[in-house]
Amino acid sequence: MHKEQTWKATWSPDRQPIPGSPKKDVQKDGPVPKRPDSGKGPDRLMDRMRKVDPNQSERYRQRTGE
Amino acid sequence: MTEFPIVVGLETEYGIVRTDVPDSDPVLESMEIVRAYRSADFMGWNYHEEDPALDARGFRVEGLAQDEEERAFTQSDYRRFFSFKDMKSDRILSNGGRFYNDHTHPEFSTPECLGIFELLRYDRAGIEVLKTARAERERELGVPGALSLYRNNTDYHGHSYGCHENYLLPRRLGFDSVVSHTVPFLVARILLTGAGKYGFESSERQGEVAYQISQRADFMETIVGVDTMHKRPIVNSRDEPHADRRLFRRLHLIVGDANMSEWQTAMKTGMTSMVLKLLIRSEWTPDFELENPVSAMQAISAGLFDQKNIRMRRGKDVTALDILERYWEACERTLSDRDFEEDWVIAEWRQAMDHFRRNPSLLSDRVDWIAKKAFLERFREEENLDDGDPWLQSLDLEYHNIDPEKGLFWALEETGEMRRLTDPDQVRSAFVHPPSLGRARVRHAIVRRFGGDVEEAGWERIRFRTGVALDLPLFRDASAEVLSELGCRISTLSDPGELAEILAPFTDSAEEAKIQGG
Repeated sequence: MHKEQTWKATWSPDRQPIPGSPKKDVQKDGPVPKRPDSGKGPDRLMDRMRKVDPNQSERYRQRTGE
Repeated sequence: MTEFPIVVGLETEYGIVRTDVPDSDPVLESMEIVRAYRSADFMGWNYHEEDPALDARGFRVEGLAQDEEERAFTQSDYRRFFSFKDMKSDRILSNGGRFYNDHTHPEFSTPECLGIFELLRYDRAGIEVLKTARAERERELGVPGALSLYRNNTDYHGHSYGCHENYLLPRRLGFDSVVSHTVPFLVARILLTGAGKYGFESSERQGEVAYQISQRADFMETIVGVDTMHKRPIVNSRDEPHADRRLFRRLHLIVGDANMSEWQTAMKTGMTSMVLKLLIRSEWTPDFELENPVSAMQAISAGLFDQKNIRMRRGKDVTALDILERYWEACERTLSDRDFEEDWVIAEWRQAMDHFRRNPSLLSDRVDWIAKKAFLERFREEENLDDGDPWLQSLDLEYHNIDPEKGLFWALEETGEMRRLTDPDQVRSAFVHPPSLGRARVRHAIVRRFGGDVEEAGWERIRFRTGVALDLPLFRDASAEVLSELGCRISTLSDPGELAEILAPFTDSAEEAKIQGG
């Protein structure tokens, strides 16, 4: 199970440091429409999501492109 | 009046990371992945025809905002013994596209296309090019799964990279009119074209960990400008038509998100082409003007399903959806002689707006940001995560992974929860062959026949080792049969000097005279 994570301030060459300041802003909306063959889909998607490294976006660094 | 066919193209920069080493070097990896891809018509590019400092407003800037940083990077990269040619590693592909390392991102540019469904096939073929290059590079490394590639626009730490749209327009259109005509639309269209992002990176909201519609909105800082890496504009004013500049201008848009959804890529380019057609025909111009387009775009992006009125400088304050309605009404009413693709765009545009008003979640089978929002919320609830949990942002990133075994988007497309518009067989063909219509087919035929004699090639100009340069017209009027015959003739020529004569009947000036009614 995923443990609590905190975001660290990081330096970026073309932007300012980005501090961690979680903000509750996710909204509740209606249900996603069910597709005819969506029975396997959500489970397959959720399985795939659980395998994602929770910290991969923290480590992800690119140079500025166009 | 003969119609002006809008040539359209997409350039997509991908994020790249090595997962088998502690410190991934995107400079090296972007170069090496392109170099690993050997299936090209020609290796090299004609940079002499490019001048990114030339501004469509009628002047040339002294320098670009990124020049200093670029110089520093170039110096440090030279110390690693990479020549400019090594770093770029340009490939002109058999399908008429370009694959190269653009500012440390592997980029696929589609060939010039004359329709949005054709463009979609080549854009999808571009993903296959990236997947093939990754497999070849991993084979070289001897490490399967060593590379991850992302079709997105941010690293969540302030670095953005683009998915640029190109639309060929008549030169007679004043650039100022292009800007005033398109800006409200470009700001509002993110409602239907946003890819979704978990996090904020604008100077005002950096560090806020919440969801928003657009990957790119945080990085837009001005309305018009020639820069593309800093001070990014909603409308880029770079004046590089890649065609006869006396007759054409190219609208180069850097404001859009890279979409996983094919429906969004088709609608982004389809709606924009139709809005530009309104301007070409001079039959409608917006009677409204946004007070602050940059902040409006960022407010729309943050607004999600709860869209507020946008402040207008001219006209009544309205929502982004209302703005899209006005453009749709103008297109539907004015462009009555629509072709099949335009009919499709008009119908889909109408339905999407109706769905958004009724229940935006109805769009989760075709709009990236709405699909992503839904599964992120579900995952957060099932795993009991805080809104600011970094796992959510990591999932956002994984949505854009082009690996069909890992990327979250592909799981949705595979089960039919996300629409697919392209036919896999046609994408396979687009991976290899150029479009049947337009300039790319002729360029391909010439480079194939005389590759050994070519010094440099670009979209428009081919320069031969003899010093002779050939400028290709756009061939927008030539049928597939005519181009097929032309390709056969080119294949039988013995000397590139013979090309000028057989290409003479296809000059753009003759074509333009016809369009203008001359």
